[in-house]
Amino acid sequence: MNAGRLAGRRTAATPFWCPNMSGLATLAACGLAWESAIRGGLLDYDYLPAPTAIIRGAAELAASGELAQATAQTLEAVFLGWAIAVTAGVSFGLLLGASPVVRRWSLATIEVLRPMPAVAFVPVALLLFGFSIETELMVIILPALWPVLVNTMGGMTGVHARLADVSRTLQLSRAAMLCKVMVPAALPAILVGVRLSLTLALVLAVLAEMVGNPTGLGYAVVTQQQALRPDLMFAYVTVIGLLGLALNALLAAVIAVFLPAAAAALDGPRT
Amino acid sequence: MNRRDPGPRSAGAFLRVATMELPSARGLVPLIAVLAAWQVLAPGPSAYFPAPFEWWNAAVVLWESGQLLPAFATTVTTFAEGLAAAVATGSVLGIAIGTLRPVERALGPLLEFMRAIPPPVTVPVAALLLGYGSTMKLTVVVLSAVWPILLSTSSAAARVEPLLFDVARTFRLPATRWIGRIVVPSTVPSVLLGIRVAIPLAIVVTLLVEMLTSLPGVGALMIQAQRNFQSAQVYALLVMVGLFGFIVNDAFVVLEAIVLRRWLGREVSR
Repeated sequence: MNAGRLAGRRTAATPFWCPNMSGLATLAACGLAWESAIRGGLLDYDYLPAPTAIIRGAAELAASGELAQATAQTLEAVFLGWAIAVTAGVSFGLLLGASPVVRRWSLATIEVLRPMPAVAFVPVALLLFGFSIETELMVIILPALWPVLVNTMGGMTGVHARLADVSRTLQLSRAAMLCKVMVPAALPAILVGVRLSLTLALVLAVLAEMVGNPTGLGYAVVTQQQALRPDLMFAYVTVIGLLGLALNALLAAVIAVFLPAAAAALDGPRT
Repeated sequence: MNRRDPGPRSAGAFLRVATMELPSARGLVPLIAVLAAWQVLAPGPSAYFPAPFEWWNAAVVLWESGQLLPAFATTVTTFAEGLAAAVATGSVLGIAIGTLRPVERALGPLLEFMRAIPPPVTVPVAALLLGYGSTMKLTVVVLSAVWPILLSTSSAAARVEPLLFDVARTFRLPATRWIGRIVVPSTVPSVLLGIRVAIPLAIVVTLLVEMLTSLPGVGALMIQAQRNFQSAQVYALLVMVGLFGFIVNDAFVVLEAIVLRRWLGREVSR
């Protein structure tokens, strides 16, 4: 077997407007196989709907306005929670990044609190706030804070020492050095955290709606599962997946328009 | 060629290196101060903010009732089995997909979409298709933990230095040999990275399944405590789950550091 041909070479990056035809064809083929397997009786689950049934279900939900309402409720929580998480994360991250003393006296606390599983906050939030949007916000904010905080801090401490020398040569004040040198240099890293946090906020919002706050897309999925309407449930699941992709693309576009220099950093490998 | 320090060899030395990367213990002061202030300001039971010593009493009560140990055993087993299955599936499929470029391109959009679906959503889907049971629980954990590992592995396998394949071709190595000698070693760091991302996901989903379906486990215990308004138990379980997450994550970081160091050391010293 020919190793080189099989593994392929890194060719010049394909331009993003060129559609991945084989990829789209695979998607279509999978949908077709799914549809025909159900119609032919090959897949014999009681509650597995065919793709056409899911599309019909989505159309039904869109027509009745339930879909728009649930999406709006989820998006409200996502953006609110994300905004608070980003504000708090950037503030603490800047503080920690700027001051080695603060870092030394609090880094271990962060390392202990950071791996707390998000879902473990649900019972505590329910205890404090009951079935409400506050519960959902608490479940979103606490875990979504860390990517922003850690990336901001990492971006600040990773700034090249020469930049600090330059600002001292220019006799910048501490505040000016922070605003004019350190923060712009750390911006790409901060944006990586901001983006990770947005993806996380959607996941957490859906999670919180499933067990904590009975509104939105997460609650709709659980409701349709209990109502034994798999077509509607899969329609909601698909919408949640598409929403995740759309939010990510939207944020990338906003960053590309307003902060073009920092946008390049986001094209790196994602985790 | 730049010969780097191949690193220490004994297990004890590895551990010392790994713990050196941990932050200084002084950093725990804010956490301890908050807990101490909590104890002083709110000494005793409360429906919302029970004092930290009450958490301890609640944990002892849970332990003596004999619920704690079986719950943790079930949760940890599900987590470990699910993660192991996800690592096996994710790394093998990832290498296969990444090595075959046309396949990678063809499956790309499908995999991206599957990854975009938040893992918690797989719980009701699996409950409907597979019913409530341990099979469903395990399936859900595997399904949510497999994507980070698979995508991280396949992108690393697709980005192997092309020169290495030229070498393989020059030596006319059979496929099994160049996969074992070139692709696998170059993807190990990415597999580890994928596992590091997958661990918190697997923990979250394990607990979520238990909360949503009341299958036995720590998640069910937490929701039960909340429903009975046992606030001290809720906090006690939160601390225990947090500690579990901390220990698993940290143990893996240490393991990763050891593997990478050994790997790098071997790679460089040859």
